[in-house]
Amino acid sequence: MKVMPRATIGWHVPERSEGRGVPANHALRGAQGRATERDPRSTNSWWGSLHSTHPTVSARPALLLLVIVMAGGNVLPAAAGVKLDVYPREIHLQGASAQQRFVVVATRADGVTEDVTARAKATLADGKRARLEGNLVRPVGDGHTTLTVEYGGQSAPVPIAVAAAAATRGVSFKLDVMPIFMRAGCNTGSCHGSARGKDGFRLSLFGFDPDGDYFRLTREISGRRINLALPAESLLLEKATGAVPHTGGKRFPADSPYYQTLLQWLETGAAADAGEVPKVEWVELYPPQMVLEGKGVPQQMVVRATYADGSQRDVTPLALYLSNNDNSAGINAEGLVTSANPGEAFVMARFSTHTVGSQVIVLPAGASYTPPDEKPVNYIDELVGAKLRKLRIRPAGLCSDEIFLRRVSLDIAGRIPSDDEYRRFIGDRAADKRARLIDRLLERKEFSEIWAMNWAELLMVHTTLDMSYKSVFLYSNWLTEQIAHNVPIDRMARELLTASGGTFSNPPTNFYQVEKDTLKTAENVAQVFMGIRVQCAQCHNHPFDRWTLDDYYSFAAFFAQIGRKQGEDYRETIVFDRQGGEVRHPVRGGVMPPKLLGGPQPDVQGKDRRAVLAAWLTSPDNPFFARSIANRIWAYFFGQGIVEPVDDFRVSNPPSNPELLAELARRFVEYHYDFRRLVRDICNSHAYQRATRVDGELSAQRNFAEARIRRLRAEILLDCVSQVTETKDKFQGLPRGAHAVQIADGTTTNYFLTTFGRSPRETVCACEVRTEPTLSQALHLINGDTVEQKIAAGGLISRMLAEKKTPAAILRTLYTRCYGREPSADELRRLLGLVARQKSEKQALGDVFWAILNSREFVFNH
Amino acid sequence: MPSRRAASGRHVLAGNEHAYPRLRRVKACHPIASFRTIFLGFALLACAAPAGAAEPQLGLILPCGGQRGTELDITLSGERLGDARELLWYGLGIGVKRLAADAKHPQQIEARLAIRPDCPLGPHAVRVRTSTGISNLMTFSVGALCEVSEVEPNNDIEHAQKIALGTTVNGVITNEDVDCFLVVAKKGQRITAEVEGLRLGLDFFDPALAIMDTRRFVLASADDTPAVWQDAICSILAPADGNYVIELRESAFQGSQRCRYRLHVGSFPRPLAAYPAGGRFGETLEVRWLGDAAGPWSERIRLPAVPQLDFGYCARDAQGMAPWPTPLRLSKLRNVLKVEPNHQIAQATRFQAPAALNGVIAQPGDVDYFRFAAKRGQVFDVRVLARALRSPLDSVLTVLRSGGGVVAANDDANGPDSYLRFTAPADDDYIVQVTDQLHAGGPTYVYRIEVTPVEPQLTLGLPEREAFVDVTVPVAQGNRMAALVSAQRDEFGGKVDLEFKNLPPGVKVETEGITEADGAAAVLFTAAPDAALGGSLVDVIGRATVGPTRLEGHLKQRTSLVRGQNNREVWNQYTDRMATAVTRAAPVAIEVVEPKAPLVQGGAMELRVIATRRPGFDGPITLTLLATPPGVSTTSSVTMAGGELEASIPLTADGSARTGPAKLIVLGHVAIDGGTVVVASRFAKLEISEPFFRFTFPTVTVEQGQAAELAIAVAKNKEFTGTAKVDLLGLPAEVTSQPRQLDAAAKEIVFPIQTSGKSPLGKHRALLCRAVVTVAGEPVTHLLGTGELRIQKPTPAKPAEAAKPKAAVAKTAAPVVKRLSRLEQLRQARAQVAAAPQGRKP
Repeated sequence: MKVMPRATIGWHVPERSEGRGVPANHALRGAQGRATERDPRSTNSWWGSLHSTHPTVSARPALLLLVIVMAGGNVLPAAAGVKLDVYPREIHLQGASAQQRFVVVATRADGVTEDVTARAKATLADGKRARLEGNLVRPVGDGHTTLTVEYGGQSAPVPIAVAAAAATRGVSFKLDVMPIFMRAGCNTGSCHGSARGKDGFRLSLFGFDPDGDYFRLTREISGRRINLALPAESLLLEKATGAVPHTGGKRFPADSPYYQTLLQWLETGAAADAGEVPKVEWVELYPPQMVLEGKGVPQQMVVRATYADGSQRDVTPLALYLSNNDNSAGINAEGLVTSANPGEAFVMARFSTHTVGSQVIVLPAGASYTPPDEKPVNYIDELVGAKLRKLRIRPAGLCSDEIFLRRVSLDIAGRIPSDDEYRRFIGDRAADKRARLIDRLLERKEFSEIWAMNWAELLMVHTTLDMSYKSVFLYSNWLTEQIAHNVPIDRMARELLTASGGTFSNPPTNFYQVEKDTLKTAENVAQVFMGIRVQCAQCHNHPFDRWTLDDYYSFAAFFAQIGRKQGEDYRETIVFDRQGGEVRHPVRGGVMPPKLLGGPQPDVQGKDRRAVLAAWLTSPDNPFFARSIANRIWAYFFGQGIVEPVDDFRVSNPPSNPELLAELARRFVEYHYDFRRLVRDICNSHAYQRATRVDGELSAQRNFAEARIRRLRAEILLDCVSQVTETKDKFQGLPRGAHAVQIADGTTTNYFLTTFGRSPRETVCACEVRTEPTLSQALHLINGDTVEQKIAAGGLISRMLAEKKTPAAILRTLYTRCYGREPSADELRRLLGLVARQKSEKQALGDVFWAILNSREFVFNH
Repeated sequence: MPSRRAASGRHVLAGNEHAYPRLRRVKACHPIASFRTIFLGFALLACAAPAGAAEPQLGLILPCGGQRGTELDITLSGERLGDARELLWYGLGIGVKRLAADAKHPQQIEARLAIRPDCPLGPHAVRVRTSTGISNLMTFSVGALCEVSEVEPNNDIEHAQKIALGTTVNGVITNEDVDCFLVVAKKGQRITAEVEGLRLGLDFFDPALAIMDTRRFVLASADDTPAVWQDAICSILAPADGNYVIELRESAFQGSQRCRYRLHVGSFPRPLAAYPAGGRFGETLEVRWLGDAAGPWSERIRLPAVPQLDFGYCARDAQGMAPWPTPLRLSKLRNVLKVEPNHQIAQATRFQAPAALNGVIAQPGDVDYFRFAAKRGQVFDVRVLARALRSPLDSVLTVLRSGGGVVAANDDANGPDSYLRFTAPADDDYIVQVTDQLHAGGPTYVYRIEVTPVEPQLTLGLPEREAFVDVTVPVAQGNRMAALVSAQRDEFGGKVDLEFKNLPPGVKVETEGITEADGAAAVLFTAAPDAALGGSLVDVIGRATVGPTRLEGHLKQRTSLVRGQNNREVWNQYTDRMATAVTRAAPVAIEVVEPKAPLVQGGAMELRVIATRRPGFDGPITLTLLATPPGVSTTSSVTMAGGELEASIPLTADGSARTGPAKLIVLGHVAIDGGTVVVASRFAKLEISEPFFRFTFPTVTVEQGQAAELAIAVAKNKEFTGTAKVDLLGLPAEVTSQPRQLDAAAKEIVFPIQTSGKSPLGKHRALLCRAVVTVAGEPVTHLLGTGELRIQKPTPAKPAEAAKPKAAVAKTAAPVVKRLSRLEQLRQARAQVAAAPQGRKP
């Protein structure tokens, strides 16, 4: 997010120095605690403690500002400390028909924003240059002037530049007519944008093919759709205004500007655009962020498009608006946001091929909030904390040592801590024992195996007709080695993307053997390494993102020159750069030069195109790679990504905490893509170490205010069952006793793993791993052959009984080895009573073991 | 050309051929012994002692190899081996001291081998000859080191089996098995491990090797070493005095009981490539051995003076010799070695064609150039031999003009090796450019490029009758057997005469040689009734005259030993002689009754086969044709039922079957104790001729329930006497006709066609005539067609007067020569209706 300039902020520091606030005491959670939270001074005391003790704060003025703004609570009266923003910040008017709306936003010291456009006083310095119609600026004469907006004792100047004020431009098909089709919904998939059109008339979906649309409108059925002799009687207009029966109904009235534009176009001969029409380069949506307090608070949005020729245009009436959470903030067709229930929403505007969005936070009116008194461990806590304060959410406390030990062991090593590990950790009194435990776990080979498995899922490592088990085995081993040897992820990605040679002799070449289709390869690369799903753009411009057909096919061109031939061993394929082959545009048919997704068109002459792509993809400047990988790593430890789903980065699916994601990505690059360091940061943060809450709420989890209860993944659950029962599994192609996380081949079948949603590795989608509970999972644990047989096969109870252990000691062992905790006195008493009532001690203890393995506490990481 | 090979090193069983030697007891410690006792019991219960069954099958030889200069006992297991007589070795150096076979135990025989000290190392192809047949081919591997067996458990470093350096271990990698061996080495001592897995030809076994220190640090590892296909070679110089562990497993933990291996571990040299990788026949070649852990060295090698199939040489140094030969190309070409610097076209090494260009793509990205002068119109074959000589290079070959323009280029014409033929477009210097496709390179990336004028070449083959079953020729005493010999010709036509050297005594051969039009010739082998049982490897020689020179070619027979998914060939053994044997008299003999009448194009014939059965034998005989003449087809087989003495094989000739005399051989297959004995008929002459007449079918249209006539025009091709009986076939249901006779003078044949109200409407295009002419008392069947019959719905009833003229037309038309087409009939009917008196009311 943008940092507000220091000078304009309502900056109230003095309270800090008073130091008289009650320390925000996390022990005070009762009525008294709540009363304390209501005490406005407590926020400042919290701030005081933060400032005085946190060493990094002084180095982070930007962050500090944010903290102040968000932490300020309702300390200040709304009028005081107002920051005034006018959007857009400067106005360019070109041509006689140009116009530009502006909105005035006042930000209170507590961060709450208000649309004060109607209340603000706006004056133009020079009426010969421009004129004002409400909040609309129109050109009068060429030159420069300034719009001054005043509100609440503050003023903000907006420079205005007017050019070609006398020049009129005819109606352009691409610039003026096409946007109306989108705005009026004519070219959506359910209307004429359908692949077969609607009621005999087809438009390209979301206007990906303007030339085709022009043809169909004017030439496909001569004299039907448009009538140049009597333009107003054109079917185009009559249908759109509902003058004749239209399945889509009336789209706009005859007195609307849309109608006028179309009519004018028809009256001037419905000409096609002569020559190249400038493309929309980018679109801005204002204001970029809103914090609305209470229900029914409005905020008008302004959308401005900038074209390739540098001209700008107010497209507020032409854009399409959408909110991802109407429950908190809806947006109407005119771009007016209205707050509803407290929460977070993302409002979007779509114009041309661009979708842009702004964040809306809706706070309850008049609610009080006290941020927790907790020292952030690292940047993660700072940024998570900042967002929580913004949303006025109090995080949960830290989890107990027992829970932390089990959680982090399962997350990093995929194992439940052994009895011994448990006792050593609980007995350890050192302050940094959690950090040391994390370091120890990161060195374990299981960590490499789990991440090799995660990558193998993304890279679809499984046998097919073209992929022998040997290929799969070598590929999987290669992945494990990369992680075991701490090969930076960027290097690993480069090796995968640029791999040449035999699928046996150089296993990363299997990347190009798993998927041989050029287009799908490009899609997979975008999804795996950039978290972007470009699939939509294969057939039409992405409806909720910026990707166009051109982007798609130009990106695919990087993979057009991959050659494959059979190796000497028929199971092996040699992958090579054949230095020939192109991708053609499906509509225009021309050869698409390789162009980076959201990047420039690089020089690929005489180079392996894949190498050019890989260098760009993994360069620190790439906006997607580090973010996408950091998000995946984060998601693994929190059960959800900052962007969720983790492989669906798009404008309309914004990160829940953009600052956090950006910082994680920045650190990841700074760490030279050593993801162990990132994992270390994550696991050491309080955000990771939070307790779960029984009544956990979505918004709190989405912003990492509390830990999420996660069912163990299939492989890890099976390994844990085998671990605690001391049994060995046999998987095809692996020696007896191998772990499920080591399975190389996605097609390896095992009833347990399939039931618990193991990824079949058929697509790159992160959604292939299923952790939703099902009835068959429960039934399998209850009476399937895994738990029962493993308890019997492991012989653990018999062994402990033979060692003359008491039932109480055995029960304690079962609890620590399965739950990572001692049984409570009550649990122990009741279980001992149960055991005593049974004839066979062994049977009874076996039943307890069975019950433990069937319990939610065992099956979930919490 | 001098004789290519001396007699095979086979050992014939001494004594009476019919007296079975006693089964020799094998050592109790042999792993097979315990299995043997089990199936011995089965054999006794399951069957009475067989009298020796045909078609012996060899499944496994254990151990899979042996040390030369020693005697050892081997067990050969398989099927129907109870009457084994002899081991037929294709190579030199292995003698058989004793062969123990017992009719009661047909699944296993035992032999004592004496391997000469100078026996070539590597695979030795062998077949088992029994009294009744010749087995499939397997290989037995000869090594130079002393041999031990693998002892389980040896699955991890702690349990590694201790062996001395200089040992060959015979073992097996079962599913997910790992075998570890511990050796002691001094600092700087070379430790080389080479595994023969796939090369044993038993299973698609893909071994992987690693040499580790006892702390589990991998010092070297190998999965697929190009020098040895999917097998592996691993070599290090010991970094310190101490113990080292050699770990062997299947590369993806997918072993099986057939994943046998021979692991050679020692200080022996093991180069991965030779440079230059070939030389001229008989010359002494200075070879630089490359890729050994101890660095390169040179050795002077005397190359054989005559061609040898798959020639190779085992590198030697003071520490011993490599366990497997490094391939060396023998040719008559002069060697040209790349001269450094050679990184640009301007630095190209100059040579005169023909020549063999030798070099190494020593660094990644390296490109080598050679330059030679050629006249306009000269044609050259440029052939890269790299992978063929087990170099890792994946060549890309380009021929350029001196100015740089590309004349020709190739990547993978011969597997990964390149080959191209180009015609020099002008008098100029030409550049031969070679590089690696993946821009890889290294010290063992050796290549040899043969630049030669186009030369004729001949190679003979034995086409398989059954896929992947290589052809052998067991000829029963007093009976016949036949085989096809094919010719692969490069750049020449004309007839190839065949010669068979070293046939077993008493076997005669009959063939007409391979004509230019045929790719293969049938060869008939006849054994005299008193021919002694015996076998030999027969040198099959093809000779042709190409201009002034006489060209000679020999047999190259492929035996497919290991195949993967979809029968893709993975490991083949090539041999240069045909296994032939005289076997015990067969219970049947077959003869073809030579047809006196011809088979006509587009005709059919029944080929009569008569069997003579030995009294008491009444099993079925399956009859097949060895080959059919071009354009002639038959069913895959015909079975002469048990006890019967005659059967017919249907032959059909298509319209373009080659006319003229053809010779047929019929093979008779009889099952004896699970195996099959095959005997052949004599050559039977078959004349294929043009048909006696051709028919031209009109398209006839008829309404349901009406009658019509099908008048077929007859054009006579050939004189015949008497009449031909002609049947009209292919009529739809509810349509009938009558057979007709056709006499020699007839120009037309007319079939009455009667339809009913239910005759199916539509176009029926499968009308066919079967015309049978009798020649020399035998039928000559013609199948002539096809014609079309259209059946239409009846037209609505017409005025009564309209029917009259139509009937009149039919009546008068019949004797008239001119027949009316349907269209003409309709026009006529319309004209008549029009001409009829106006009956309509105004």
